[in-house]
Amino acid sequence: MKLTRRLTLAAFAGTLALGVAMPAFAADLIAIITPSHDNPFFKAEAVGAEAKAKELGYETLVLVHDDDANKQSQLIDTAIGRGAKAIILDNAGSEASIAAVQKAKDAGVPSFLIDREINATGVAVSQIVSNNYQGAQLGAEEFVKLMGESGNYVELLGREADLNAGIRSKGYHDIIDEYPEMKMVAQQSANWSQTEGYSKMETILQANPDIKGVISGNDTMAMGAIAALQAAGRKDVIVVGFDGSNDVRDSIKSGGIKATVLQPAYAQAQMAVEQADTYIKTGKGPAEEKQLMDCVLINADNAAKLETFALKD
Amino acid sequence: MPNFRAAAAISLAITLVLPGCKIIKTPTAEEAAAEASGGFAPDKQVADLWDSKVIPFLQQRAGIFQEVFALSKSDLDAAAARYGHKEKDGTAPWTFAAKVSGTIVKAETKSRAAYLEADVDGDGKGDVRIQIGPVIKGTAIRDSLDFVNFNEFKNQIQWAEFGKAFNTHVYGLTLEKLSREGLEGKKVEALGAYPLPPTGQPALLTPATLTIGG
Repeated sequence: MKLTRRLTLAAFAGTLALGVAMPAFAADLIAIITPSHDNPFFKAEAVGAEAKAKELGYETLVLVHDDDANKQSQLIDTAIGRGAKAIILDNAGSEASIAAVQKAKDAGVPSFLIDREINATGVAVSQIVSNNYQGAQLGAEEFVKLMGESGNYVELLGREADLNAGIRSKGYHDIIDEYPEMKMVAQQSANWSQTEGYSKMETILQANPDIKGVISGNDTMAMGAIAALQAAGRKDVIVVGFDGSNDVRDSIKSGGIKATVLQPAYAQAQMAVEQADTYIKTGKGPAEEKQLMDCVLINADNAAKLETFALKD
Repeated sequence: MPNFRAAAAISLAITLVLPGCKIIKTPTAEEAAAEASGGFAPDKQVADLWDSKVIPFLQQRAGIFQEVFALSKSDLDAAAARYGHKEKDGTAPWTFAAKVSGTIVKAETKSRAAYLEADVDGDGKGDVRIQIGPVIKGTAIRDSLDFVNFNEFKNQIQWAEFGKAFNTHVYGLTLEKLSREGLEGKKVEALGAYPLPPTGQPALLTPATLTIGG
């Protein structure tokens, strides 16, 4: 009787051990969580991260939080539940995301942030973000030059909960406000969205037909704005964006949008996966948690070299 | 009687409370702004650092511009080790500390992003541009310093405000008082910093000190 029981137990323990050991034979999992892929910028991040993860022998779980902090929290739970070894995250808000990243850390899953930073250090392993201020200054300098240092203009802002919306606007104004003849006649948020960019531009144009330029916090809103301007027959208005998407590249080449600022989204995502890989294998993080990636001005001179958020040499 | 008691209680209370009174100084606009942004006051931080750390650091670190520039072309690592600084990770270019001593061959003062072009080797051609504002591009002074670090700031916004505060400080201290007339042909001495320019483009130096002679 006793022997049978012992045998059963041993068998049970064996099965259990086998069950636990099993996943070790499968590839480790990296979760890649970004905003919606409707915006090609976020799609490029996800594609870049996934390609690098596969190259390094990982399985991937690609998810989108649609800029909803609650949804992001659920996706972090999913990643933890699925036993992810690391999370690559373009987060849904610089304050609201701190708790979600902390939750993953508490569960033993390290996070590697890209594109947007959070207002805390020591929670994520890395925060690899574009130097939005440097990029915005490049965009603003080009905008001011195109405007001849004077005239009425409109600013389209990104989503307010996103720190990048504020920092880009600050970078723009730290340059533009130094020119007393540059006058901002309207400033509105179009929430990073192309459709909102279109409708906001339409309304603004009705109230302010005397505008000479539009500076936008990202490329999708700039695409919306240029479409509205063209629909109204206003091909004279100077539009400048931010991101460096292929859509805007094509618009620059055909004489629509005048300039944008490239954020190296693809390289950034790949760098995050490389740092995650090192961390998984050695437990070592980068020398500094917050890392800035410089942006590059894109105009008619170099637009042809731009492809999927990277400049060809 | 009850009235008397109440009055006594009140006067006692007043006597007790009075010594607890404190005279509070009305905060200056600067202090109020710092309070509103959670104690972050980049202008004050920069003003406090300027004479004690920034200028001594640049004086000690800077090389003669033409030597720094030539070394950065022939051996970037060596130039970076001697004169350069950048954040450990990320993709920012090296920023070099340099001293310029030369002759002004061109003064672009029509644009608000005004600059002087200086000839440092006597060939009559401009070798370096020195920003004189009011629009000062970039954050070269901040980026040249090895004792300030992005990771010690809350976020990019504060890091950016800190970077701009150096430009504002040097403009108020020196550049604003500069005469914008008849600059060409005069001697110029500057101590400052510039980021490694893209190939083929001139170096753009942000001065920390600037003297224009006869």
